Amino acid sequence: MTLLFDTQNLAVRALKKLVRNPILIFFSLFQPIIFLVLFTQLFHSFNLLPGFPPGVSYLQYAAAGILLQNAFSSALQAGTSIVDDLNYGFLQKMLVTQVSRPAILLGRLSSDAFRVTVQSVIILALAYALGFRVATGLPGILLMLFIIAFFGLAWSGISLALGMRTRSAETVFGIGGFLTFPLLFMSTALVPVSFMPVWMQDVSKVNPISYAVDAVRDLSLPGYFSTSAVLSSIGVIALIAVLTMTATLYLFRKVVS
Amino acid sequence: MTEVINVKDLALTYADGTKAVQGISFTVNDGEVFGFLGPNGAGKSTTIKILTTLLHKTSGSATVGGYDIVRQAPEIRKVIGVQSQETSVDPELTGRENMILEGHLQQMRGKELEERVDSLLSVVGLKDAANKRAGRYSGGMKKRLDLATVLVHKPKIMFLDEPTTGLDPQSRAGVWDYLEELNKKEGITIFLTTQYLEEADRLCQRLCIVDGGKIVAQGTPSELKSEIGADAITITMKDYQGKSDDSVRAKAREIIQNLPNVSNTIDSGDGLTIYAKNGGYFIPDLVRAFDKTDIKLVSINLSTPTLDDVFLKHTGKRIRVEELQKTAPSMFGRR
Repeated sequence: MTLLFDTQNLAVRALKKLVRNPILIFFSLFQPIIFLVLFTQLFHSFNLLPGFPPGVSYLQYAAAGILLQNAFSSALQAGTSIVDDLNYGFLQKMLVTQVSRPAILLGRLSSDAFRVTVQSVIILALAYALGFRVATGLPGILLMLFIIAFFGLAWSGISLALGMRTRSAETVFGIGGFLTFPLLFMSTALVPVSFMPVWMQDVSKVNPISYAVDAVRDLSLPGYFSTSAVLSSIGVIALIAVLTMTATLYLFRKVVS
Repeated sequence: MTEVINVKDLALTYADGTKAVQGISFTVNDGEVFGFLGPNGAGKSTTIKILTTLLHKTSGSATVGGYDIVRQAPEIRKVIGVQSQETSVDPELTGRENMILEGHLQQMRGKELEERVDSLLSVVGLKDAANKRAGRYSGGMKKRLDLATVLVHKPKIMFLDEPTTGLDPQSRAGVWDYLEELNKKEGITIFLTTQYLEEADRLCQRLCIVDGGKIVAQGTPSELKSEIGADAITITMKDYQGKSDDSVRAKAREIIQNLPNVSNTIDSGDGLTIYAKNGGYFIPDLVRAFDKTDIKLVSINLSTPTLDDVFLKHTGKRIRVEELQKTAPSMFGRR
């Protein structure tokens, strides 16, 4: 009960801070919105190329990639908050209270998941206005949001670990920015795998972003949904989550020792 | 009297080999204000972090509130309030929200918490600013808010790590008044660290003087001062050429050695501190002695012994206070 109470209170704290710094959400949303509005227009003729799913607009195709790019880059900023708490002594102040230790991480993570969900809803709404549709309807949208938030959650672990290790918000931001584009371009986020040179196809096959993107895309395109594909993508994300959370917990234990 | 803190041969060596605390022992009684006085790097913060369950000791043992620091850390956290050296309030939350959050972390809720928060906010004079974000508070206000948050769960023992470092004299006096009131009215035991002699003298019923991770002296302020058993006369001097280097100091020492009633002479700044009985009677002798030499006395200052003299006696150094010096904030930063 303590765990739940503390997680909730710390998540609320994190969200209050976020709402009071709307500039952060603005910066996070800026890039996906540019992609959604300009990038999809710039490359709208992609759907004429061979290998592109027939009868699908480029916006319809790329939306899944843009949603996951947003989840990925937002998640990689998660660690900046723990840097602040470490450096301003707030973490230490929490640690001398009766607060449940795991709640400090869980509160953080649940607020990050909430943030990614809200941003995704904003992007989805804008995409809808531009003509994007989800073939599987509302249940599909909810499942999409779940996959996106879960994917973000898996990566925020990496960011939290980085934050605790380096204690530098700049490093966390830097590494986040450094990772986002290479991983995005070498995945199926923006183009079908057949568009890529062979070496990049190989990379994209082991790129976790591809798995999440494919699941979200299959939910939105008519006639693509398959339970097994969605489940396997959730499995991959869960695997990443286990790895990143183990690293995070290990470092967190070291910090709170 | 009951002991609320009992520390035996406590030591901590950091991973890099720094021996921050080297076998200290002391006890703090219920309802007492107990101080750790010492310069930066004396091991004061490290000691607080061990006693408040933030750091693991290397050897020795300690109990806080009757609970063992290793085996009963969760019990200790229920009865202590800790104010760290860095003021740690969340700048993006209002003063009130900071208080409520801390109350929640201390497992309080509902009406009990609301009432406690309201009363504490008015006690520390932040009632009017309660709904402003803490980031907009002045330094003194933040410190008061920090103090109030630490008190929300009515701790029996307070740990304050340099509670007034970085405050202006007026805010400092305000904090002192408040701490005295807390101690007297609510009977809270206070363990504080400080590098200010005045603070230790005014607040602490008993104190340890610490240096280099060790306790060099302990007792009540007046016990410690009477241990000196002499007045302190601080002089500065020059030779006829206007020089005041070490050779001049050495000559001055020779002259002083031959005077009666001198118990000790110590270098201090660019002059000397002489400990002598009945300082008032000693000064004429001192002046006469120098009159016959080519060294001129530039200044003479007579004082009854201070805690700094006690520190000087035991360590051969003065407590150098680096006023308002800000070191980079870090969780387990050593001072």
